[in-house]
Amino acid sequence: MSDIRKWFIKQHDKGNGHAPKPEKASQVVPASEKPAPTTTKPSKQPVEQGQGSAGRRKTSKYFATNTSEFSEKQKQADEGKPEKSQAKRKTSKKNDDDDDNDDDNDFVPSSEKNKPAEVISPAKKLKSASGKGISLKSVDDDEEDDVDEAVKTPLKGSGRGGGGRGTGTGSSGGRGRGGGRGGFMNFGERKEPPNKGQKEVPEGAPDCLQGLTFVISGTLDSLEREEAEDLIKRHGGRVTGSVSKKTNYLLADEDIGGRKSSKAKELGTAFLTEDGLFDMIRASKKSKLVPGESKKAAGKTDLPVARSKQVKVEANSINDQGGKSLVAKGPAKDAKSKRLDPQKSLTWTEKYRPKVPNDIVGNQSNVKQLHDWLACWDEHFLHMGHKGKGKKQNDSGAKKAVLISGPPGIGKTTSAKLVSQMLGYQITEVNASDSRGKADSKIAKGVGGNTSNSVKELVNNEALSVNMDRSKRSKAVLIMDEVDGMSAGDRGGVADLIASIKISKIPIICICNDRYSQKLKSLVNYCLLLNFRKPTKQQMAKRLMQIASAEGLKVNEIALEELADRVNGDIRMALNQLQYMSLSLSVINYDDVRQRLLSSAKDEDISPFTAVDKLFGYNGGKLRMDERIDLSMSDPDLVPLIIQENYINYRPSSISKDDGVKRMNLIARAAESIGDGDIVNVQIRRYRQWQLSQAGTLASSIIPAALMHGQREILEQGERNFNKFGGWLGKNSTMGKNLRLLEDVHVHVRASLECNTDRTSLRTDYLPVLLKQLTDPLRQLSKDVAVQKVVELMDAYSLSQEDFDTVVELSKFQGHPNPLDGILPAVKAALTKAYKQGSSSRVVRAADLITLPGLKKAPKKRIAAMLEPVDDSIADESGEPLADGEEEENPSDVEDADAIVTGDKKPQLDLQSDKSKGIQVQLNLKNAGNSTSKKAPTTTKARGSGSTEKGGRGSGASKRKR
Amino acid sequence: MLWVDKYRPKTLDKVIVHEDIAQNLKKLVSEQDFPHLLFYGPPGSGKKTLIMGLLKQMFGPGADKVKIENKVWKIDAGSRTIDIELTTLSSSYHVELNPSDAGFQDRYIVQEIIKEMAKSRPIDTKGKKGFKVLVLNEVDKLSREAQHSLRRTMEKYSASCRLILCCNSSSKVTEAVRSRCLNVRVNAPTEEQIIKVLEFVGKKEGLQLPANFAAHIAAHSNRSLRRALLSFETCRVQQYPFSENQTVAPMDWEQYVSEIATDIVQEQSPKRLYLVRGKLYELLVHCIPPEIILKKLLSELLKKLDADLKHEVTHWAAYYEHRMRLGQKAIFHLEAFVAKFMSIYKGFLIAAFG
Repeated sequence: MSDIRKWFIKQHDKGNGHAPKPEKASQVVPASEKPAPTTTKPSKQPVEQGQGSAGRRKTSKYFATNTSEFSEKQKQADEGKPEKSQAKRKTSKKNDDDDDNDDDNDFVPSSEKNKPAEVISPAKKLKSASGKGISLKSVDDDEEDDVDEAVKTPLKGSGRGGGGRGTGTGSSGGRGRGGGRGGFMNFGERKEPPNKGQKEVPEGAPDCLQGLTFVISGTLDSLEREEAEDLIKRHGGRVTGSVSKKTNYLLADEDIGGRKSSKAKELGTAFLTEDGLFDMIRASKKSKLVPGESKKAAGKTDLPVARSKQVKVEANSINDQGGKSLVAKGPAKDAKSKRLDPQKSLTWTEKYRPKVPNDIVGNQSNVKQLHDWLACWDEHFLHMGHKGKGKKQNDSGAKKAVLISGPPGIGKTTSAKLVSQMLGYQITEVNASDSRGKADSKIAKGVGGNTSNSVKELVNNEALSVNMDRSKRSKAVLIMDEVDGMSAGDRGGVADLIASIKISKIPIICICNDRYSQKLKSLVNYCLLLNFRKPTKQQMAKRLMQIASAEGLKVNEIALEELADRVNGDIRMALNQLQYMSLSLSVINYDDVRQRLLSSAKDEDISPFTAVDKLFGYNGGKLRMDERIDLSMSDPDLVPLIIQENYINYRPSSISKDDGVKRMNLIARAAESIGDGDIVNVQIRRYRQWQLSQAGTLASSIIPAALMHGQREILEQGERNFNKFGGWLGKNSTMGKNLRLLEDVHVHVRASLECNTDRTSLRTDYLPVLLKQLTDPLRQLSKDVAVQKVVELMDAYSLSQEDFDTVVELSKFQGHPNPLDGILPAVKAALTKAYKQGSSSRVVRAADLITLPGLKKAPKKRIAAMLEPVDDSIADESGEPLADGEEEENPSDVEDADAIVTGDKKPQLDLQSDKSKGIQVQLNLKNAGNSTSKKAPTTTKARGSGSTEKGGRGSGASKRKR
Repeated sequence: MLWVDKYRPKTLDKVIVHEDIAQNLKKLVSEQDFPHLLFYGPPGSGKKTLIMGLLKQMFGPGADKVKIENKVWKIDAGSRTIDIELTTLSSSYHVELNPSDAGFQDRYIVQEIIKEMAKSRPIDTKGKKGFKVLVLNEVDKLSREAQHSLRRTMEKYSASCRLILCCNSSSKVTEAVRSRCLNVRVNAPTEEQIIKVLEFVGKKEGLQLPANFAAHIAAHSNRSLRRALLSFETCRVQQYPFSENQTVAPMDWEQYVSEIATDIVQEQSPKRLYLVRGKLYELLVHCIPPEIILKKLLSELLKKLDADLKHEVTHWAAYYEHRMRLGQKAIFHLEAFVAKFMSIYKGFLIAAFG
């Protein structure tokens, strides 16, 4: 290969380092018809890759042109590489050639088997990175030999070119990381891999890591944790959470000195870097022959789906060989599936239903206990009468019934049936499909028809047993399945069941899912409790393996463990899935399971935080719509709030390098969508348009998450890098509280009759000025003058001490000086004292919520303040209106009619404080004396304190008056 | 007492600013009767003062003898009973209330409480006036349903009661309600009028008020007489005698909003947006209505903007304000506006300066 060509390719690939596949496909042409290779390539590439990686290419171009440092680095990397890659290529080439001849026969079938499946469901396959790798492989198989020469080196070069951007590849990884890390330091608890996505992820033989156990620690060089786990599992390895003796390797690129690494050192576990892992995988492939370089290029996990599709199409159309082989392989598969068909008349769950107790996966001790119980049942309960009272109920068999509980699909019913069968019992099963209500007492005698009656009949079938010979008597067992499902239709079902147990002549096995269900509370006392647990995934995998091999299905153990994991211990579902998959595949590997079961995970309760994590998470973009809806519906109130709180913390993975505009754009779109969600929510709640709830979640949760999902980063020093709880709830309640306080102030101010603003302008216009007037004098004037002035103002607006605090509180902004700063404590104390002194007269004005003597609670209705204007304009004509008022008092809507009455005719106590000259309270003594009505308390209080001098509040002022 | 209240005109005759309206109102009630009225105009223009003056003109000083009452009403709404707390201010002639306080339950206030009040005819011993007056504040904040309930009440009980509605914007009052009222637009006072009032108050207080300074205050008042008088008094506390170019201190929250605006213009990043969210929350928690925040924020931003962007930004502010009214959680929309602005502004900066 010429230098020119190498450079040429590199220039194109700078941006597409991770996407060499298309290029390869296009190169198939020049490879097969040697001439003019350079001319076709350039024209093709941009077209192919245009849609797929537009964003990435753009940014990397930006880098290539703008940053001289980078290009230099690249040069450096490139200079080193060609020789090395050539050398490598030669050895691998040799291997390939040799193995091609020898092993082709062994290996090709498997790849052929793979192929039809991929052809059948390309879309599914392509969803995940690995799928892509495989599909590529199948296409490339046939081209491999021809293309090899032409393709290999350029490919290598391209891969390196991409890698070179941040770092060198392989050996030089450390250097790049050192440089890259600094900038990422503050990203949170687990840092983003420094060279994320910049290395090719090798593709090795599927089983190359078989039997090895890995533990991942710290941040890897280029892979996310999840990616690394995937990679290992895909190649047959096992990933565990903590280091143990069984651990073969600790995968870590840096020694962060955590628990894992110290444990590993202690146990002498080998450390492995990411590059080491890659090498292992690569090496395996070389030795195992499979078409080499193409897979290595498969790399980069999030290759756009479209691209690999294109590759396929192109490979098909351009390359005859490929097309033929595809066609050729189709029939083969067909033939095979036909051959398999007849066997599949029975579902596997039935076919492989355990025949002996040992077949049951897990819960062996429970099964044994059940067996023992059933075996001794007759002895315990039937022969008791014959053998006298000596043998009292003493051991576990003492209970006449057994209650098996556990999650669905783990073999409760099967165990019960199996054990009964083994012991020769005849099984009568009653489950939720039968009506199990309380037996009608009238027909309880055995007239039957109703299940519950036949149950009754069954459990006391003496007639049968009397006539028959004891030994020959067919023993019966009653299995009551799904007892916790006894519901509205089965009224009194449980009680009846208990009654049945008491009189029963046969063993009864009850089965339920939830032992702690309220309905079963009474039942558990009569039963021996057996709690079935989910089998471990290893146990399940073992059993599944047996079945798979019996069916001639090639599955590796890791895949089965994954399957077991995904179905959440439900072995029935695992079998169903396996059978379903066997219809289209005969070799099942990890990725197939992974994809297939992404959807069929069982419903689980997820917390809103988990839901938000998932929506925003690494795989957030790959979730299906219904999954997203499920997630956001897990709590339709909280999820949107948490999303709203956290969405700006995410660095969207859909944009890579960017000057901030794109991210800001995305945030703006997300924010708008959240606003949409709010609007929809109003429609839902206020107008009860619940049919909009899906639209609501879509707008408030799904769209923002879809726009923003990616890596979370912190925006504030010291913040923990986890999703925070939505702040809105707290803020809203604070706001509510403050609004109430403000409303109190407002009422008081209105009550002073001095101003008639609404609440809004009270807050926006009055409050700042009031605050100034209330606090400035305290700071500037001498104590007594200031206090008097402030109290005067407070009286003028009938502000209470609490209102004063509210005013201060509402004006206290974060980052601004506290309005009370600079006021001496002594002055504050004097203010409080002065205010309290004058409070007798204020009682009436700010009359709400005071407790009155003689009344336990504050009156429900706030007491009205009745006030006399003292304005000059009215003062001169006050005589007649007052007289008017006296006559016009209207009891229907003026509650305080009696208290209002003014004038000199009636005896009255005039409490007028000299300080608050604006306040003139006139109270009707005569009325107050014998008043029992509701409006009276005010007057009573005032009078009481005034005359008896008992009330602490009023005494000062009234004394002075006298 | 603050000057703004001290020098509030108590009768229609003493009104300085909207003298023409006051005279018209006076003529209107000289017949001892009047139609339903709808006062609308910006805050600080004198609606309430006019209404109080009108009531006084109508009923005499008795209208000043008011009591304030905070009562919990039990309302039977089909299957359940709703408790609504409502503050009313009433004299023997009129009842003033703020139905929008009940939030989304305002419908019940209109349907039950107002109707109840409207039904009962005041027992007037002298038989002078056969009706009472209901003053409803902030009618524009009433929900649509409440307004619809109101219109029937207005017709049916017009014999025994008159409604005086008061709001800032008549556009938010339904057509049906508006057509049943005599609409009185109360303009914001012009700056000249404000200066006149300031001088009047200054004279009464015996202050030397430099003309320039008065103009300065008027300019800062946003044509709200209340604001002008309040800041006049604040300035008096700060410094007296006045100087020609004394600064008029902005309100605390206004200052805070302009800090936010500065923050936004300085940097457009998620981090900054997060900071701004915190500050917006702070304002909301301090009971500043979100509409006012948005309006103020926009005007602060516009001061700092390039002419090219002004139109677009204003458009988006209007857009988000509308959405804010449709929605419930104001912070979402405020934040959306800030995010939108940041995205526009950042794009603009990069396009302009690279």
